[in-house]
Amino acid sequence: MTSNSKLNPENMTDVLGLYIKDVIDAYPAVGAVLATAGIGCVTCNVGTCLIKDVVSIHNLTEAQEQSLFAGIASVVFPGRTVSLPKTERKAQNLGVQQLSPPLQALVNEHTNIKRVLTLIPALSERIQKGFDAQSRQICTQVLSFIREYADRFHHAKEEDILFKFFDSGSDIIGVMCKEHEIGRNHVRAALAALEQNDATTFIEQLQAYGLLLTEHIRKEDEILYPWMNRELSDSQVGKLFSKFGAVDEEFGAKAKQYLGMMETLEKG
Amino acid sequence: MSQCGCPGSQTMAFKRDEATTATDSGVAVKSQLAQWPVQLHLINPMAPYFQGADVVLTADCVAYALGNYHSNYLKGKSIAIACPKLDSEQEEYVEKIKSWIDDAKINTLTVMIMQVPCCRGLMGVAQRAAEQATRKVPIKCVIVGLQGDIIGESWA
Repeated sequence: MTSNSKLNPENMTDVLGLYIKDVIDAYPAVGAVLATAGIGCVTCNVGTCLIKDVVSIHNLTEAQEQSLFAGIASVVFPGRTVSLPKTERKAQNLGVQQLSPPLQALVNEHTNIKRVLTLIPALSERIQKGFDAQSRQICTQVLSFIREYADRFHHAKEEDILFKFFDSGSDIIGVMCKEHEIGRNHVRAALAALEQNDATTFIEQLQAYGLLLTEHIRKEDEILYPWMNRELSDSQVGKLFSKFGAVDEEFGAKAKQYLGMMETLEKG
Repeated sequence: MSQCGCPGSQTMAFKRDEATTATDSGVAVKSQLAQWPVQLHLINPMAPYFQGADVVLTADCVAYALGNYHSNYLKGKSIAIACPKLDSEQEEYVEKIKSWIDDAKINTLTVMIMQVPCCRGLMGVAQRAAEQATRKVPIKCVIVGLQGDIIGESWA
């Protein structure tokens, strides 16, 4: 159980200040209530976000938010009438907003990463009975793409640049970094398995990485980036654009090389 | 009043709700303008206040239509104003915007225009300049309705 637990909340304000996983563990029906608002925290690997932060990041309308709070209250305080708090809202909400150029660039990079992730099931099938020379080369290339393009190029942009525009101590940024780290551990383990000719462990680790990163990318594309997009000022967008441009310039030739490798891998 | 012709010069009158405007009367609103001149023909694109700045290129009519222009859009930014319909020698505009991007190394460019079709030309001028520039900067377009509402914001 995480440290801020107060699992005898007296009111909904107390509930909003709890870690989401603690609440879901103590009141499993809350998971289904959250799902009705498109909040899929039940499957999260970490779950150390406060409920109020999770709600805030999803940009719900006031009516949706009150309906969600009422649903949670009915689970946590059955049969009781409790007052529902209102979260601080931005004065202007133009609805679905187009991502700024630097955040859109990250989404485009996700598209490339997902193209390689979709190759994992067929690759796993192919090496079930062990590696041969050709499959070993393909596995090496897949790991190389993940370590260089997905991690050193893309995740480094997030961790070293984008996340620094936000409170680095926030739970939501912490969860994203934690998932990057879990992914790195899977890749290290897969690489070790490849070196030891252990196809079973290689498949386990690569598949775990694929599942983790698919869900991680979905969270970033659908929730984290739109929230960041709303929070960033125009001036911050310009600075982000400039810093990403410097990384693109430094890594540019290598990135192109990895995109070429991706296309070759897709052709089988 | 004719219902045909150019939407940019069509005569219209707007009724304002007294209740919503009464609170504003008599309150001194602080100007956020931090430079002079402002007209795009008159500005020097290399002026110190354009160096690395967030620049808002505003169509002439916008600041009259948008009640909170100073506080919400001009604050913290450098400005130039222009009219894509009436101003002459707009190739100079292209050169000046290009110089903002390449020489003054501005951080961002926000182009604010009215919803009338003739105003789109200002975004076209900015895009031509951006295409000719060596550097790239994020360009945002804000479209303001005739009654001062924000119709849309998008990154080019």
